[in-house]
Amino acid sequence: MNLEDELRSALRRKEPSPEFTERVLARVAGRPLRRASRPWVRWVAAMAASILLAAGAMGYRQYQGERARSQVLLALRIAGGKLNKAQKKVQMLNAAHRNNS
Amino acid sequence: MKTAGFPLAFVMFAGLAAGQQVKWNYEKLAARASDSVDVDLDGSLLRLAAKFLSSDDPDQAKVKKMVEGLKGIYVKTFEFKSPGEYSPADVDAFRAQLRSPEWQRIVGVHSKEEGEDVDVYIKPEAKGIGGLAIIAAEPKELTLVNIVGPIDLDSLSELGGHFNIPELEVEKKKK
Repeated sequence: MNLEDELRSALRRKEPSPEFTERVLARVAGRPLRRASRPWVRWVAAMAASILLAAGAMGYRQYQGERARSQVLLALRIAGGKLNKAQKKVQMLNAAHRNNS
Repeated sequence: MKTAGFPLAFVMFAGLAAGQQVKWNYEKLAARASDSVDVDLDGSLLRLAAKFLSSDDPDQAKVKKMVEGLKGIYVKTFEFKSPGEYSPADVDAFRAQLRSPEWQRIVGVHSKEEGEDVDVYIKPEAKGIGGLAIIAAEPKELTLVNIVGPIDLDSLSELGGHFNIPELEVEKKKK
């Protein structure tokens, strides 16, 4: 028997045994079906995500507000300080002018 | 129809101009400063800030009342490592931006001895003061203030004097 004949013999078509089909069908029937996802799980996940987003937005708003408040106080303190300085100088000059005259 | 169009446009423009901030050209100066303080608060941020100011604290209540009518607060402070890092021409350029009929200089203090100049400008309106601008130049510091909206100068001056505003963490931009 030459190589070609050997290969032909080894690779020849074979029909599966009747038990093979039965075995496959039995295994498929025995496997538990994938459960369909429960709709309430999605709702809970969506609500949790919404709550987290809202909490994040509120936190950011709080941060922005506190920062704006600090900046207002700082800005008015600087502006008031400069204005106060100018006023005091004017008052000093007025007092000196009155004393001289 | 044409004759009515001009006054209407004029009134609209005047209304718009009344609420506008001074656009200082300070980029060159900012590049030379060693430290700077930059406060930019428009109307929406001021309204938000007002919500966070306590009405129970008498000091904060005063600030809250003052801020509620304002349309903007803009403050720039530049600090320099040594005197002479900005020129009188730089300060004059800022003053020139306020040389317009809508602004009126009410105080100009120039101290050669201390090297300090403070100029206070107001925007007079029918109901009082519609805006404030301050240019304060010291040897190693330059401050530009612009407050847009109705402001009471006495109350503001109190804030910088005996009025007890707590020390704040100044957001300084180190260079």
